[in-house]
Amino acid sequence: MAVLEVKNLTKKFGKFTAVDNISFSLKEGEILGLLGPNGAGKTTTIQMLLGITTPNSGSIRYFDKDFSTNRQECLQIINYTSAFNTLQGRTTVWENLFVFANLYQIDNSKEKIKNLAEYFEIKNLLNSQYKHLSSGEKTRVNFIKALLNDPKIILMDEPTASLDPDIADKTLSLIEQIKQDNKISILYTSHNMNEIDRICDRVIFLSQGKIVAEDTPLNLTKKIETTTLRLTFDKGKKIIEKYLIANKQEFEFNKDNIVIIKTKEKLVPKIIFGISSEGIWMTDIEIQKPTLEDVFLQISRSK
Amino acid sequence: MSWKRIKAIMMHEFFITKRSLEVINDIIIFPLLSIIIFGFLTNYLSGTTGLIISKQVLIGMILWQVINMTEYSIAVGCLWDVWARNLTNIFISPISNLEYLIAYTITGCIKSFIVLLLGGIISFYFFGTNLLDLGLINLTIYFINLAFFGFGFAIVILGLIFRFGTNVQALSWGLIAVLQPLMAVIYPVSILPKPLQMMAYLLPPTYVFEAARVNVIDKGIQWQLILMAFFLNFIFIFLAITFFNFMFNQSKKTGQFARLEG
Repeated sequence: MAVLEVKNLTKKFGKFTAVDNISFSLKEGEILGLLGPNGAGKTTTIQMLLGITTPNSGSIRYFDKDFSTNRQECLQIINYTSAFNTLQGRTTVWENLFVFANLYQIDNSKEKIKNLAEYFEIKNLLNSQYKHLSSGEKTRVNFIKALLNDPKIILMDEPTASLDPDIADKTLSLIEQIKQDNKISILYTSHNMNEIDRICDRVIFLSQGKIVAEDTPLNLTKKIETTTLRLTFDKGKKIIEKYLIANKQEFEFNKDNIVIIKTKEKLVPKIIFGISSEGIWMTDIEIQKPTLEDVFLQISRSK
Repeated sequence: MSWKRIKAIMMHEFFITKRSLEVINDIIIFPLLSIIIFGFLTNYLSGTTGLIISKQVLIGMILWQVINMTEYSIAVGCLWDVWARNLTNIFISPISNLEYLIAYTITGCIKSFIVLLLGGIISFYFFGTNLLDLGLINLTIYFINLAFFGFGFAIVILGLIFRFGTNVQALSWGLIAVLQPLMAVIYPVSILPKPLQMMAYLLPPTYVFEAARVNVIDKGIQWQLILMAFFLNFIFIFLAITFFNFMFNQSKKTGQFARLEG
């Protein structure tokens, strides 16, 4: 069942088309990645899904209800977190969360805040001013705010941006845990391909406001046929060069004893066997399969 | 409409105010300082121009704080969330524009009332001018009219900020002062040059200040002036709300609202 249905959504700023007639859906319990280079239209899409930017045309439906005519009802069941928005820095964490709990008309808000603070291990920070928290702590508090109303859908706009790798990893674990514990659907944007690969069930690639690819991370990487083969050898550079030219392979020598070959995945065993048959002693073989980053780069550079 | 959401924004405003020295400074210290300075001035004037005029000046200055405080509270209250990059979080909650504005209007009125109360106490004990001499009903009518105008003016400013961004944020605390001379706060409208008098009579507070000056001598309700103030205020607020809604929608169309915090 689709909890979010976007149809023919378009946003123009003057003559510039930021989002160009995109349609997609988000399924119950799914994490959908929204990827694309800067200016691809990801943030504008999120802004329209939150109702803070008005689309020129198209429709947004949450749980089959039209967002434009059921704004309050829809906003009650969704929430949002981003590295680019913060809470009020002057007030304490508890004060911030208490205000949002009331904005979402949460019953028993004090209990709810206490439970979420325990879940996210920030109970000791409730009386600290938000501005004094570290980036990681702020991210956790933002997640609590995003979970206060027991949302069915959370929109996350680069939630791990500006976090160090350790905190980013913990944040991703939290997202995985949130999804598992609460069966929430998540629309997730990030520039970090490893993150997307790790947590997203499905990915949409946006480029110049259009959807240019849509699939699971695995299927998207399968669309790239080229595999990188990195061979380290003792000696015989000339022999290898001759063999690769004869077999019409794309290659370059990284050092005198390292060759990098870009080839089709199915040809990898043949090349290794062939070079070995020429009497070359290989000390290391590394096969790099295409990653989501390769897909991203291919799409970004093909515009 | 949800009272719980209105209460949430009021609490939010209270939490910010109690932790912000500059807000306390702006809503308590500066207004009271103005009243004290004008108190001394009126003490001085009472020796040369008479007690009535000096009382009119001081009462005008105290009542002026109602417009100032309501306007400041609504416009700058919103800016605190823009500066903290928290406005999006608030506006993606189910709160409506009306609930948001009502919350800030109530907090603005509370702040104005506190300033009026403190100003009244200072003027009574230190400068011998009793605000209650205007009459409690008159005072209430003046307060409502001035707060109405402050509210209307603030949402015009908010509309401009939403539409054009924080480049115009200085209007929140600056523009109202430009209108002060026209409203004839501490002097009669008749002092102004004729063209300015015509402009002055387009502003609802002008009638309130005129009525208050009469009240210093005559305790009766100045119906003609008061009804005119209410009439103009209703027109002004209707136009202000229409303008705000238009600017707010334009801001969302142009993407400016989402860029406010950038």
